[in-house]
Amino acid sequence: MITDTRPLLDPDAVGTAQTSIARVVDALRRVILGKEDTIDEVVAALLGRGHVLLEGLPGLGKTELVKALSRLLSIDFRRIQFTPDLLPTDITGSHILQEVDGRKEFAFHAGPVFTNLLLADEINRASPKTQAALLEAMQERRVTIFGETRPLPFPFFVLATQNPIELEGTYPLPEAQLDRFMFKVDVAGVDRAVLEEILTTRVHGEPPALTPVLDAAGLQRLFDAVDAVHMPRAVANYTSRLVAATHPESSDAPPQVRQFVKYGSSPRGAIAIGAAARGLALMRGKPNVGFDEIRRVAPAALSHRLVLDYSARLEGWTGRRLLGALLEAVPDVERGLPQTLEART
Amino acid sequence: MVGDNSVRLADDSTVPADRVPASLIPIVRRFSRRLRIGLFLDAFPQWAAGALLAAGCAALVCRLFVPAADPYLFWLLAAPALAILPASVLSIRRAYRPEEVLAIVDALTGGDGAVLTLAERHDQAWSHASQISRAAHAALPRFRPWRRLTIVVPALAFLVIALLLPRRTPAAGPSPIADDVVSGLSATLKELQSHDLVTPEEEKQLQQEIERVRKAAEERMDASAWEAADAVKEKMAANAAAKRDAASWAQEALARYSAAGGSTGNPDAASAKAELSKALEALARSGALVGVPMDIQKMLADGKLPGDAAALGKLAAALGQYLGDVQSRLGEVQGFGGRASRFDPSEFAAAGEGEGDGAGAGNTPGRGGITRGRADAKLTYGQESLPAERFKAQALPPGYVRSPDDWAPVVNMPGAPIVAPEASGRAAARAYADDAGQAAFRRTLAPRHQSAVKKYFKP
Repeated sequence: MITDTRPLLDPDAVGTAQTSIARVVDALRRVILGKEDTIDEVVAALLGRGHVLLEGLPGLGKTELVKALSRLLSIDFRRIQFTPDLLPTDITGSHILQEVDGRKEFAFHAGPVFTNLLLADEINRASPKTQAALLEAMQERRVTIFGETRPLPFPFFVLATQNPIELEGTYPLPEAQLDRFMFKVDVAGVDRAVLEEILTTRVHGEPPALTPVLDAAGLQRLFDAVDAVHMPRAVANYTSRLVAATHPESSDAPPQVRQFVKYGSSPRGAIAIGAAARGLALMRGKPNVGFDEIRRVAPAALSHRLVLDYSARLEGWTGRRLLGALLEAVPDVERGLPQTLEART
Repeated sequence: MVGDNSVRLADDSTVPADRVPASLIPIVRRFSRRLRIGLFLDAFPQWAAGALLAAGCAALVCRLFVPAADPYLFWLLAAPALAILPASVLSIRRAYRPEEVLAIVDALTGGDGAVLTLAERHDQAWSHASQISRAAHAALPRFRPWRRLTIVVPALAFLVIALLLPRRTPAAGPSPIADDVVSGLSATLKELQSHDLVTPEEEKQLQQEIERVRKAAEERMDASAWEAADAVKEKMAANAAAKRDAASWAQEALARYSAAGGSTGNPDAASAKAELSKALEALARSGALVGVPMDIQKMLADGKLPGDAAALGKLAAALGQYLGDVQSRLGEVQGFGGRASRFDPSEFAAAGEGEGDGAGAGNTPGRGGITRGRADAKLTYGQESLPAERFKAQALPPGYVRSPDDWAPVVNMPGAPIVAPEASGRAAARAYADDAGQAAFRRTLAPRHQSAVKKYFKP
């Protein structure tokens, strides 16, 4: 058995990282009011170097969140508004015939994908061919055009948004595309108190001005710290049991999963949970991942990776709801207490 | 602690002590101990219930079929103690591994993975983290064994009910009756023994026969059992009678021999001596010499009777006294004294109408028929049944026959046929058709029945 012998992060390093992350989070919370959970999930995914799909109704601040994040991180930011007539080369770039020194030759013009933070707005409005142009970029972090493979800058994040309504003329993301996203974050509406605060503190809804709190080097240090967060074997065991239980044929799968899920999560889901949980642990000032971090990130990491049966829609079961049932069914520790012992709450 | 470097957990495996913060060692130990007890309590109820059920079945069987085991049955209440061993073995085999214990400790005490992390990665820098101190002071899980132990209750109730079942009393068999059948025989045998009237061989043989009769009576109790007992009793009576006869003969022979003087020249003495020798041999064969005194035994030891008058007189006196004693002892035996066989002479004492010699009621003969009496009673003649002439013919008074013309009707009942000679036979048949069954005769048969009726009458 290969054992991880690296030392734990020292408390100072953890404290420094937590402070940096907290600055980003606090700034985001000033911009997007009443979306603490959404912000935590997006930041945790970024720390895990994953892509995020934001799904919510129009006007809930999805785009504003991404824009605020780009300003805070002081990294290159591009935005693509996906439309049905968008072509793959509009994303990746293409070779253009131009005259150089009296002779004509093809010169490569990089597309908007060559950036650090890409906002793919309303990604489901582009054709599948165009959506597929992002597949290699998201997974391999490189783009191949006319046989030439070009690496994307580091870091590279895709934060996509999509609208769950107005589905006419849209192209739902295929499973392979969805699987590339570390998280699918459901952006919910805001309550009355938040609206009241928006009205009293914002003029025309304009967010407060932001100044960068983290540069690329600082982000790299954060990534290094995230990589050094320890995941105990029992916690990894819990994660693996959780992901395995998303498959209806698994013996640990709860009845709801067996009834409503056609295909469970891929191993990429477990990897996503591990990466995001490390980021979340660092955000909480811990040198290790605990069971609670896994429980916190699992719904966002797994809900879009479940292929649901048609009956699930009829019965009103969504991926998030199924994940709730899954988290209740799978115990933290594989072998729990004897039946004659009862834990004190 | 094992040595100085490890913490012993649920089984033999250990976790290096320097891997677990010192503040966590007590809680990990207590958790480990409690988990072991919990595993035992998980396994024990099923085994205890099984042991109690088995004990209940054993108690039930013993109550029904093995009454001798009753004093020991309450030890079965200790059956659950037997379940301790398999439950212990199971709990040891299912013991938690150290990493499992640590995972449980971490999950239940809010360790947030810190306990696990410090166990996997030694880092003193984090040993005072809030999660660690929270885990060190966490409450242990509490025992809840009662729900598991409820399965023991029915099994225990079953055992208690089995123990409280009333003991099964064996049904009254033939044994008391069989004992009653042979009780008279046994009493008579004891009486003979007390009077020295039975030899050891006879005693052994009689005891065997009595036992055989008793067993036969146990197997099948009917008239044959009583007949077998009577046969043995008759045999005992016959032996006693043989002794009595032999003693009488010996007394008579001794008297004659004494009267002859024992002189060798006297022919009567010689014949008396020979008779006495035969009588003594018969006496010995009958077993009447069992309790003979030593002096007589010495005198009879060489098989020769003393020739001198003094010795003869002494022998005659001693032998006569002994024989008289034997006679008196035989007379004292109550078992068959007056009723040595099934034949009871007293029953016929009142019917002594025969011409017997008057020696006793037992010699009174019967008068024929099934109550003819004893077979050895003397036959008597002259009291036969009354002659047939007693039944003389008696002439009955003569009868008479009334004249057929001497009659007159007493009354005419309604419906009685009126004799009308002038009417034709056909008209009379019509008039009395209903009474004569014509209605049934004329009834029209359904076509489907006609064939059946024809077939009945003309097969």
